[in-house]
Amino acid sequence: MMLPKQGDSVIVQNMTGRYGRLHTRLMLDYGTNVAAGSAPGKGGQSVEGVPVFNTVAEAVEKTGAKSSVCFVPAEFTLSAGEEALDAGIKLLVIITERVPIRDELRLLQLAQSKGASIVGPNCPGLIVPSQKVKLGIMPAPSFSPGSVALYSRSGTLTYEIAGQLTSAGFGQSVAVGIGGDPINGTTPVEWMDFVQGMEDTKAVVAVGEIGGDAEERLARHIEKSGYSKPIVAYVAGRHAPKEKKMGHAGAIIYGDYGTADSKIKALTAAGVKVAVTPSEVPVLLKKALS
Amino acid sequence: MPKSVLVNDVDGTRGAFASLEPPLALKSQVLAGGRGKAGGIALVNDPTEAEREARRIFSLAIGGERPNELLVEEAYPHEQEMYLSVTLDRGDRAFVTIAASAGGINVESMAGKVIRKISLDGIDAAFAAEVASLLKLPSEQARQFGSILLSLEKLAREKECELAEINPLAVGEDGVLMALDAKVIIDDNALFRHPEFAKLHPVDEFEGEASRQGFAFVRLGGDIAVVGNGAGLVLSTLDLVGDAGGKPACFLDLGGGAQQERIEAALRLVNRLPGVERILINIYGGITRTTDVAAGMNAVLAEGAVKPIYARVSGAEEEEARKLLAGTPVRMYRTAPEAVEAVVKGA
Repeated sequence: MMLPKQGDSVIVQNMTGRYGRLHTRLMLDYGTNVAAGSAPGKGGQSVEGVPVFNTVAEAVEKTGAKSSVCFVPAEFTLSAGEEALDAGIKLLVIITERVPIRDELRLLQLAQSKGASIVGPNCPGLIVPSQKVKLGIMPAPSFSPGSVALYSRSGTLTYEIAGQLTSAGFGQSVAVGIGGDPINGTTPVEWMDFVQGMEDTKAVVAVGEIGGDAEERLARHIEKSGYSKPIVAYVAGRHAPKEKKMGHAGAIIYGDYGTADSKIKALTAAGVKVAVTPSEVPVLLKKALS
Repeated sequence: MPKSVLVNDVDGTRGAFASLEPPLALKSQVLAGGRGKAGGIALVNDPTEAEREARRIFSLAIGGERPNELLVEEAYPHEQEMYLSVTLDRGDRAFVTIAASAGGINVESMAGKVIRKISLDGIDAAFAAEVASLLKLPSEQARQFGSILLSLEKLAREKECELAEINPLAVGEDGVLMALDAKVIIDDNALFRHPEFAKLHPVDEFEGEASRQGFAFVRLGGDIAVVGNGAGLVLSTLDLVGDAGGKPACFLDLGGGAQQERIEAALRLVNRLPGVERILINIYGGITRTTDVAAGMNAVLAEGAVKPIYARVSGAEEEEARKLLAGTPVRMYRTAPEAVEAVVKGA
């Protein structure tokens, strides 16, 4: 994965839709170079002064963009993602929720074959405060530049925890919502390995939730790889019922698979400090860094 | 599959003895897993025994759901129970088939199970034969098994199941393989390609209304309605309530960009939800304008008779939102833990 730098061109897919328009403006306000948009049949229009093209290929050709933020509805996300990856996009951030699992898997295979990365779907995107780059829908005031890398499976909880980190004086080197679906374009393990290599990152905050075994896998990876940066985690859903989808398609417990207790136990055994509440995250981080 | 009839009451269960050969298995028809473990299946030999067990199973809630129907099925005498499924492996981000020659209630602990990745484009007879050979099945059973696996994989792929499972897949005394129980979980997000499933899920009045509004909603049976924006935030609020000794009545995620009308619709819904005594609202306003949230609360308050509201509303235009709610019965808090402490105490 390559994080975009200040000034790098970014395109927005389905820029002329309601969310595409709103977030084109908010990303521009933050300082991100949203250079072009795409929307079939809307070529020649503009949004916030940014030109819209019929295809991603044209938008990429005109701007040299390597990153795209996709607001295309779920029914068409597979074809929109294929279009972006075929046009040479290397970082595809898919905000769209309710994308079918098999469509996500097909996009993932295509991305892997082209050496591209996907963030999401069903996510708020990613933000690099020091570069004024925001590829997503997160509210800018919650974030500030600094040396803590934050990832989360949930949107609003990302903002809540980023806001508390910011208030406590812990800015972020990068923050990403990896998505609330059973399949993530970038997994927690991949993400943690990536931030391990970021020089400006001193510590990591990992925010998980019920469902699947991403946190258990992360715990095994931390133990096996001898992860060197301090990690503070939070896992939502200790009081969640079984067999019920809790808002996110991926937040569901089957039998004993996917419980918060199993995740907390695994992370704790791997030496990760696990906060009981979101507000405990900065407290544990302070201890871990002192 | 064995011979069976579907019945919807105790008399029907007795009546099944007219057309089926005992012993019979009574199976609760609920859309929930872990049915056998929960006592939702019984083996009966005569109508008196059937009546007693049917009464018990009809009144037994599994995963919060009581059955409207029982499947009455001829028991299949068998010597061996196998397991077979096609399922999503979330960690490996691929579909897999899992097979074991000795089935059981817990897939995780099955000895000698075979797990093989499946292409999104499907499998062929050679793949199925390889799985059968890894299970060391005798040739006639291997042939039957291969054809069942091919059909199951086709079903899972074409109907976009997250899970298609046969458990147990019984080997009869005559060596015939028989599916004695099966379960599928459909990918909800793929339902737009499968209108045939639109009417399958029983939806109660509140779930139906929540679904029409685009809310994520789960009933939980307690007395504190928990409402917020964002699945993770609401999930973490449930934890705070549970830790403080409170009992959530529901999980309601308004979703992103919650505007005034959505707040109003959510408040009206939880306000008439049976068992709700107090309402907890946790909004982290990023893109959501907190003044819209306040205006929504005011509009519903103006309709009268709203249960006590405890709100933590944080984010853009927070101070203006507080002013809008000054002098109303809404109790406002700066942080989620403060709001939770108050709503659990009922102060």
